[in-house]
Order: sequence, then C-alpha cells, then structure tokens
Amino acid sequence: MADKEATVYIVDVGRSMGECHNGRSVTDLEWAMQYVWDKITHTVSTARKTACVSVLALRSDSTSNELREDEHNSNISVLSKFGQVLMPDIRKLRDAIKPSNTNRGDAISAIVVAITMINEFTRTLKYKRKIVLVTNGTGPMSGDGLEEIQKKLVQDGIELVILGVDFDDPEYGVKEEDKDSHKALNENLLREFAEGCEGDCGTLEEAIAELDTPRVKDVKSMPSFKGMLRLGDPERYETALQIPVERYFKTYVAHPPSASSFVARSGDGEGEEHTDSRPNQGEALTAVRMSRTYQVNDPSAPGGKVDVERDDLAKGFEYGRTAVHISQIDENITKLDTFACLDLIGFISQEKYDRYLHMSNANIIIPERANEKASLALSSFTHALHNSSYYAIGRLVAKENRPPMVVLLAPLIEAKYECLIEIQLPFAEDVRSYQFPPLDKVITVSGKTVTEHRNLPSQDLQEAMDNYVDSMELDHKDETGNDILPIDESFSPLLHRIESAVRYRAVHPNDPLPDPPEILAKFEHPDEELVKSSAPFLDKLISKAEVKKVPPRAKGRKRQRETEKPLSGLDVDALLNQEPKRANISPENSLPEFKQMLSRAENIETIHSAVKQLCAIVESQIKNSLSDANYNRVVEALGTMREELVDYEEPALYNDFLRSLKSKLLAEELGGDRKELWWLLRRSKVGLIDKATSDMSEVSEKEAKEFLSPN
Amino acid sequence: MAEDNYTRDKEEEEVDEEEVDETNYRSVKDAVLFAIDISSSMLTPRPSHDPKKPTEISPASAALKCAYHLMQQRIISNPNDMIGILLYGTKSSKFYDEGGDDNDNVSYPHCYLFTDLDIPSADEVKHLRALAENEEEAQMILQPSEERVSMANVLFCANQIFTSKAPNFLSRRLFLVTDEDNPHADNKSLRSASCVRARDLYDLGVTIELFPISRPDHDFNTSRFYDDIIYKAAPSDGEAPIYLQPDTNTATGKGDGISLLNSLLSNINSRSVPRRSLFTNIPLELGPNFKISVNGYILLKKQEPARSCYVWLGGETPQIAKGVTTQMAEDTARTVEKSEIRKAYKFGGEQISFTTDEQQALRDFGSPIIRIIGFKPLSALPIWANVKHPSFIYPSEEDYVGSTRVFSALQQKLVKDKKLALVWFIPRKNSTPCLAAMVPGDEKVDENEVQKVPPGLWLIPLPFANDVRPSPEYARYSPPDDLVDAMCSVVGQLELPKKVYDAQKYPNPSLQWHYRILQALALDEDVPESPEDKTTPKYRQMDKRAGDYVLAWAELVEEKAQKMFGGTAASTKSTLVKRGPKDQGQQAEDAINHPSKRIKIEGGTSNLDDDVKRSFERGAVAKLTVSMLKEFLTAHGRATAGKKADLVDRVEQFFEEKM
Repeated sequence: MADKEATVYIVDVGRSMGECHNGRSVTDLEWAMQYVWDKITHTVSTARKTACVSVLALRSDSTSNELREDEHNSNISVLSKFGQVLMPDIRKLRDAIKPSNTNRGDAISAIVVAITMINEFTRTLKYKRKIVLVTNGTGPMSGDGLEEIQKKLVQDGIELVILGVDFDDPEYGVKEEDKDSHKALNENLLREFAEGCEGDCGTLEEAIAELDTPRVKDVKSMPSFKGMLRLGDPERYETALQIPVERYFKTYVAHPPSASSFVARSGDGEGEEHTDSRPNQGEALTAVRMSRTYQVNDPSAPGGKVDVERDDLAKGFEYGRTAVHISQIDENITKLDTFACLDLIGFISQEKYDRYLHMSNANIIIPERANEKASLALSSFTHALHNSSYYAIGRLVAKENRPPMVVLLAPLIEAKYECLIEIQLPFAEDVRSYQFPPLDKVITVSGKTVTEHRNLPSQDLQEAMDNYVDSMELDHKDETGNDILPIDESFSPLLHRIESAVRYRAVHPNDPLPDPPEILAKFEHPDEELVKSSAPFLDKLISKAEVKKVPPRAKGRKRQRETEKPLSGLDVDALLNQEPKRANISPENSLPEFKQMLSRAENIETIHSAVKQLCAIVESQIKNSLSDANYNRVVEALGTMREELVDYEEPALYNDFLRSLKSKLLAEELGGDRKELWWLLRRSKVGLIDKATSDMSEVSEKEAKEFLSPN
Repeated sequence: MAEDNYTRDKEEEEVDEEEVDETNYRSVKDAVLFAIDISSSMLTPRPSHDPKKPTEISPASAALKCAYHLMQQRIISNPNDMIGILLYGTKSSKFYDEGGDDNDNVSYPHCYLFTDLDIPSADEVKHLRALAENEEEAQMILQPSEERVSMANVLFCANQIFTSKAPNFLSRRLFLVTDEDNPHADNKSLRSASCVRARDLYDLGVTIELFPISRPDHDFNTSRFYDDIIYKAAPSDGEAPIYLQPDTNTATGKGDGISLLNSLLSNINSRSVPRRSLFTNIPLELGPNFKISVNGYILLKKQEPARSCYVWLGGETPQIAKGVTTQMAEDTARTVEKSEIRKAYKFGGEQISFTTDEQQALRDFGSPIIRIIGFKPLSALPIWANVKHPSFIYPSEEDYVGSTRVFSALQQKLVKDKKLALVWFIPRKNSTPCLAAMVPGDEKVDENEVQKVPPGLWLIPLPFANDVRPSPEYARYSPPDDLVDAMCSVVGQLELPKKVYDAQKYPNPSLQWHYRILQALALDEDVPESPEDKTTPKYRQMDKRAGDYVLAWAELVEEKAQKMFGGTAASTKSTLVKRGPKDQGQQAEDAINHPSKRIKIEGGTSNLDDDVKRSFERGAVAKLTVSMLKEFLTAHGRATAGKKADLVDRVEQFFEEKM
C-alpha cells in the first residue's frame, strides 16, 4: 500500500500572470497550469482516496483562508480543500483559476498558510507532505521570519518545490534578459529559502520539458509462489535437497487503462441535455450491457434453433464434436492434482540454449526473506550454475492444483543483486512445426543442392550486408561498458498515449487532443547520426541487392501462372481441352470448372457465359438450401468469383450479380427468409468490387461500404 | 490473484492474434482427409528385425495408427478443424448412403469412406482405434479389391467430400499414403483422367500431400506418376515461400514396420498443422528506402485446454448450447450495433470519452513494419528481457523481388557474428508497436532428417521500461568458493541428454490429463487411475547419481552457516537438506543431524514439522496457531487460503494421505 499523501499546490494568479512574456503565445498562468494540471491529473488517475490535494490561489482578488485575520495573509484563497480530487473538483478549479485584477499577495505567506493547512489535515499521522509553489515572482514578498518557516518545514517533514516562470537556471540554460530587478530579488529570496529547507527551486521551463518523459509506476510485487526449490523427492529419499524460496515478477506487461463501452443516449427529451451535469461531454452517453442467451439446434423449430434456459444447462467440455458433460461432484475431475513446488528436472548447457524458446514474462526466484541459510544455499546454487555455464530446467507448480509448468532457471549475478531468472518453456504441444527451406542453399525439385541461385546472396551482396550491419552498431552501454539494450529509455507508447489523452481531455474537454510526445517515438526510426554515417554502406547494399518492388497490379494472377502446373510441368490444360463434357459447368465441380473455363477463355463471351452459369448455380444452391446448409458453399463461390473477376478485370460482372442477388435475398425470392445468409455475406467481405480493388470498377469505396451497411 | 489476471490478459491477446487476414472470405480452418491405399502390399506385415520387439506392422496399419494419433492430437490442438479417413482399393465401397460389396451401383467403387470429414466425434475416435489396433471386426473392411481402383475416381471422391463438408475452409489437405508409385502404368486414359482430377483439386484449393512408402524391393519414384498429380503449392496458400520444396515427403520405410511407423509419424506430425501466418508481406526495413517483404508465423504458442462450455441435456443426446451475446443500451434496452459503440475511461469518478475517430487516432501507430534501428551483440539481450512468446519471420517475394537473398544475407551475417537487430515492430494494422530483438535461428533436423526448427529470424518483443518490475531486496551472502564447488559437483551429475531442453519429451501433463479424462468419459470407459507425467523429475536417478554430493554440500552449508551467522541464527533458521524421516528413529536422529529445523517459528521452537506431526498424533492440530499451520502448509505446497478450520482440515488430510 502506498503512503498517504497531502500536497498543496499554490498557484500564483496575480494580474501579471495573465500576461504573455518572452515570446510565448500563452500567458504565464496558462503555462504554469500545464505543469499543475499534469501533476494533479496524475494524482487523479491513481484513483487513490488517500492521495489528497489542496489548491491555493496566490494574489487572488479575494481572501479566504484560515489565517485571514493576519493581514499578511490577504489575497490568498483556498480554491479546494484537502481531499481526493474528482471530476467536479477539476471543473471547479478550471473555472476558478483565472488571472486576478491585483498583484498583491505574498508568496511566503501562502507557504505559511499551506503549512498550517497540512498540519491541520494530517496531524501526526503518516503522510507524504508536499507544497508546490508556481509563480512568476513579481509579487511583493516579505523576508521576515524566513528561518522559522524553514525550520518548521524541515521539522514537519514537508517537501517544498518552487517553480518560477523564467527564473534563471544556468545549469538548464535559462537566463531572462533585462530581468526586472524586483523579480531578481524575489528569485534570490525564493531560491535561498528553498535551499534552506532541503527544498527545490527551479525554472518552470525545465519542469514542463520533463513532463514529456513518462513516469513509470512503481509497482510493489507480491510473491506469486512461496515454497521449496527441490532437488529430489524428500518423501522418499534422504538425499533430497530443499531450499525455501519466493518468486516475484521481473517483467509484467503494463496495460493501458481499460475502456468501457457506451452509446449515445437515445434522443428523448431535449431538456435533459441541458441539465446534464457534465457540460464537457458533447453528448450524453449510456452504458452498454451484455445479455447472453443460449441456443441449441432443433430441426423442428423455425430457423432450426431454440433458446434454452441457462438453468437447464450442465457444465461440460467438447471432445471433438462430442459434448461431454460433467456433473457437479466431478467438477474437478479433469484437473490434475498438484502441489506447489519448484522441482529441478536437470541441467542444460547455456551455450546450447535457444533464446527464442522463452515463452512468457520473466520472474525472479530469491531465497525466503530473513532466512540467512536459505540465502547462502541458493546463492551457492546460483553461482554453481553461473560458474559451470548451466541453466536449470525445473517443474513449477505455483499454487496447489495449478497446472505444472516447465521453466528455465538462469543465474543472474550483478554487482548489486543476484537471483535466479525463471521463464516458461514450451511443452511438446506448444511447438508447431511449420517447415521452411534452408536459407544458405537451394534444393531443387529434382533433389539437387545448389549454392548459387537468385534466392541466395552472391558474395558481393553478403559482403555489402556484412559491412552495413557493422556500420549500424548501436552504442548503448551500461556503467561498466557492457553492451545493453535501451530498455530503460523505451516507454509503452499506447499506455502513455491513452493515459495522457484521458488526463488532457479531463481538463480540456473541448480542445482537440495534442500530439503525443516525441519521446514515445524515440525508437521508431534509427538515430539520424547513425543513418548518416552508415549511408554509404547502405547505398552499396542497395545496389548489390537489386531488390525490385512488385507493382501492385502484377501481384495477382499473372505471377501465379507458372505454378499452375504440376511438378512435372505437364500441360494439364491440353488434357482439359480434350475433355468433352467440360463445355458447361457442372454444379458438383463448379469452382474448379469455373476457374478452368476462365483460364481457357479466348473471348469475352466465354467469360460472360462462365459467370452466368456460376450465378445460376449459386442461386439454385441458395434456393435449395435447407436452413443454412449451403451457405458456406455460397460464400466460397462468391469469394472465388470475386477474386477471379478482379484478376480478369471484369468487376462489373460480379457487381451486377451481387446487386441482383442482394435484392432477391432481401425480397425473399430465393426460398424464403435468407437474412442470415446476407449477414454472412456482409461478414465475409465479399461485397462489391470497388475502385481501390480494381481500376476497372466504377463503384466508389463509399458506395461499396454502403452496399454492405445493415440498413 | 495477480496470476489469474495474467492468464486472462494473455488470452485476450491471443484471441487478438488469431484474427489473421481480415480481407479473406475463407474461414481460418483446416480439413485433412487421409486417403490410405489398401492394397495387398500395403497390408503385408513387415517383420521387425529387432528380436526384442517382435511386432509386425504393415504399412496400412502404420498409416492408420498415424491417422489415429493425428486425430487424437487434433482434438486437443485444433478443436475446430476437421479430419476424415478415406480407404481406397478396398473390396467393399462406402460413400454416405450408398455402399456394400456391389461395386457396380456406387459412385466411387473401391472407395470406403471410413470416417466422414468432420470434427471427430468420440465414436469415430473409438472406431478408428479399433481399426488401427487390428480388431477383428474392423479387419473385415481391410480387404483389398481384386480390380485396380481408378485414381481419378479416388481424387474426385475426395473432391466431393471437401466440396460438401468443408466449403470455404482456408486450408484443405489430402494426405495420400501409398506404396504404389505407378497405379495406371498400362492405361493412358486413366492416367490422364487422374491428372485432370488432380487439377480440379488444385483449382478447388486442396493441397495433396503425398506420404510415399517404399517397398522392400523397390524405391518409391514420384516421377513415374505423382509428379503429374502434385502441384508446387495450393493457390490458397499464398503464404508459401515461392521456392518451397514441393509438398512431397521423402519416401519412407524400406525398413521394418516400426521404423516405417516412426518415420511416417514424424513426417505426418511435421505436417499436422497447416502453416498459418500471423502476418503476411509486411515490410522489413533495413534502412531508409530499403525494404524487403517477410511473413510472420507463430511457431511456439501455449496450448491451453478448450474452455468449458454449457451442455444441454434435455434432448436425446447431450448437445452443446451456443451462447449468443447481444449488446444493449442500458437506458432503453435496445440492441446496439458494434459501430455505434464508443469507448470511455474511468477518471476522477466519471467517464472520459473520445469520439470514434479520436479513439482510432490514439491507437494508430502507422502501417505494419519491422524497422531495423541498429545492431547489437546477442550478449546485450538480458536473459530476463522477455514478455511473451516470439514470432518467426521468413522472407516472401510477393512485394519485393529479391527479398529472399537479402534476408538470407542478413540471417547469415547475424548467425556468424552472434548479433541481433533492434527493431521497431508493428505486426498488423492497428496493433501496438513494440521494440523487439530480432535474433537469428539455425535450421534443426531430427533423427529422421525431418526439419524440427526452420532457419530464419525470430522476433522477441522486449519489455518497455513500464514492464520491468523492481526486484525486491533481501539479505545476500556471498557463498564461499568451496561451497559453490560442492554445488557444481551436484549439478554436474544431472545433465539432461545432450545438455539441451527438448520440448518434444515433455507433453503438458495437465493438458493430456484433461483430454484423457474427457476421452474416457466420452467413450464411457474407466477413468484412468493416475496420470502419466513426463515432467516429474527422475528422483531415483537423482538420488543415485547426485545423492552423495548433495550430502557433502549440505554438511558444508551447515558448517558455513554456523560460522557466518553463529548460534543464534541457527536456532531460528531453516535446514535445507531434509532427510527422509521414514526409516530412522526420528527424534534422536534429527537431534544429531539437524539441530535446526526447516521453518522459522516465532517463539523459538525449533522443529515445526515434528511439532505439527505430534499435534496430529495427539489429535490437537486445532490447537496450533494459524501462522504455524500456514507455514507448514506452504512448506508442503498446499494452499493456505481459508479460515483456520480449513487449514486444520488440510493439515490433517496431509497426514492421513501419508499413513
């Protein structure tokens, strides 16, 4: 559980904050608020009730604070009291934070007010206390009693951060020309004040620049396994060895926040929209609910299916197409009984391990906490693996009755840390054997091995590749000069995009979303310098490679032509021509005969005729379909026809047929209600051939889309 | 808890991955029809040369065993895919509602459709098993016909089965098992007819995969007939690399039955799943303005048991109830179309929503790409830098001619210099980008010369900084060298064969058990007593080979611990080696060998295991504290959830099982 937090943001809203300075197009206040909103919305996004925030306005028109009796504390007002910030608070703050009409109000006094508020709120409880002051430092400031305030801050454990608009910071490289002498004095005062109480005083520009670097949430891990690392079976052998260990995540994918589904509220009652408590929403939304019903086949029912009650159903599994139901008593009968344990199976050579066998996220295995002997024992095991270059193979059951996993255990020994890394390995069933030809030789159909071939690199190409690869070496190193990958500098783009968009939209409901920060795209392209220095090698590689882009048109049929012969190269088309009965397409062998007819067609009439015949077959298949029996065949026929006619550049033939088919289907002219087929056709993407798919088409993409739309 | 979440997330991700090629109208399913030649030579048993295994297996029986094996395997691995068995050259014929010994009135004489092409049912599994295991009744079917079957007819029979039973499948394959390399040597017209029917199958998108078997006196020669029948690749398999070896398998089985069976199994296994791509023709960008095209595949993926479903028992046979989900608006309960749905995020107690366009823009990271950012030695890739299974890529000439040679040069360079490429990787449209390590992989073959791992490049997605968890601190002690050496001696005794991990040797025990039980229930057989679990370590061997070394190490640990942590520590910390308690006078023995016991106990009692055991014997487990019970259960791998009464039950159960 994270610590409770109490943070006061003191925002300078003085009149001068409403001005733009140093060539910026935003006012000082707007600029400062970028920082403040970012911080506040970050806190909101944690949805923690114990992360409490309060906001104070400095140099406000009015005065409203607990110490207002003291006239030093005038023009300081509490905009929001301590508490968890929710959307209504954000809206309230957004409206309240506006430049005032005064420049009166003392920043140091505001800090005093904030200290008082924090103390009242947190009393002596454990809190992380923090005060953030954002100002342009042009207001009046009294240097009285600074020491005492500093002492108080240190004593109460309050962290102070002061950010100044255009405050000089030689380290970061900000220096304001022609600085007003009053402001310079204030800057000095604030800096010395912050330094005197272990606080920070910096320039706003730097703080805002840092906002782009995503903050990575520190997640406290809980052990996912506590138990014995065993070698041997202690129940049966006295030589079995057991070390108590714990397992934690090493990597675990951080997912973006999940969204829920909504639809626009049905437009009944105009008044409702006006009274909507959320003016930031362009339209009112209502949640989407799921409702689940169950159906079974029943040939006697209309549509062949009937609904059944959830209560009449038993739990079960499919074995092939046989339903196996399992009574409640036997509920766990298919589960393997296991006990939690990390058993060692044996050891393998590090050298011979293929890194791509890693199947999962990584975990670490460390000794049981506060168990010195376990720590010593596990360490000797880790070092033994390391010294003799072994990995261990283990069988891990993380909790009683969980399925066993086979895991790799690898020693990780760093200067400041050591543990075993544990990763799941594939079981026999997890390996799919797809075969691919070798890359360093070509084996011809006749079984000969060839080493010079258009698919193999020539010596020149190989050399050019070698040089290019060498020229593109990355230089990421750790402190000790070892090669590393830049994992620390890479941030999940989707996670941060969504999080920052949500936070931005919460504060700026009507503005378009800003572009995502550049840092998320840091590794989208190679480094420019590297590209420049390796350019000559790349040019050489390109010239040796002689790679040619295939024009989009040529991708289809023409290139496949050569494969349309059996291995022997026999001219089957000649044989087909001799077949007398193939003048007309037969319904039972329609698709092959359709394709063959097209491929042998010498004039457009033959193509028309082939299409006409297949169309007739399709319509009769639909007419004669008992319920949905022929639907998949229809989809296949349409899909094939579509593909072929795109290739033969006759999209109109297909489009005409599909249009007429649609109207017939919807008019129930093909054997009654065929809506389900229409739904299936829509889903199967066998719609009109549009211009993007075929140049010859006269159907626009929009038209094609509308054709398939539900209404 | 956390882990449950983990699996769910993973599932969602996997579902996402299955959605291959959205533009295709075909359904992503596979149908395999075995066509097995039942000739007298196929039925002649081949004696084993090995006197220890005097089994006789005929080629036909080997083929049936393979088919049975594949059927069982696919029920687990591809529950939506179809399989069928067509015997040809049989005396009797059977095709849907026609059949019998009268071969004149049937459409496909001497073709016997033994198992119709479908997702197999339990009964079909049982029937096939009976046939494969030589049960007499089944053997009636395995009678060769006197007259030669027409291959054209066999092929058209297969055509009709595919056309009607597996319309619109992305992958349809005919597995042809035969030892006859020239069926129509003396009849030219039958031969031409076969070629035409083979072309029909090709145009229908059916791939013929030939599993040729050589006869003891004759090598199978594909050029005599089958080179006219088989095509380089099915047109629907656009993903096949263009110069892929023809889909013929090397002839097997000059030898005895067992080796025939094994090599056939190995060949068929390697073809058991159709090649399905994860992505096709995406650009691999080697540098600005230099791209080649590659296809991606998932070669390693966790196989989970199918989810449970609901079964309706109201009819004659149990039936699976299909769930239909409809989405409705909460206010009016009207049904909602997918396109209307907008996404909103919970924030500050309210919902923050985006328009569909905005939502799309947020998730848009550009077109699919694998872009090389630079190169690094393989050693730069930390062993822990992993979040999921890898993808495999292989070149395609579809978009860029010359891709293969460039890819080959890159792969060879990376292999040679042990390098990896760091890449920016967007696998598909609308998928989230990640940084990945592209590592080279070499080809690997098994003892039958069948490829086990293809050559190519592997993409290993790397964790982002967000995905790396801080490591929990603990008190570390550097182990003295002699202690490490003692452990080295233990470890050195227990190498796995060839010092490698061979996944094929470790079937997933819970997955196998799940389907073993389902099979027994489905076939109404007895449920087996105990599972076969190949992942269980070989305890006896461990004891024999490494036992003495373990004891030596354990003694040294005791000694060092005494020295390093002193007496105070020893009384509260654990022992690491636990000796089997069974055969010794325990108390005394323990006192001598194990002054300290395994688990740390508040209050200083030194022996939790014995205390708990004594309490059990006195019937006083309930008097132990919850923390003692939990410690005890954790140490024995038992769950520690629940109330105290549950813990007490579990501890008592633990001892009862031991009795």
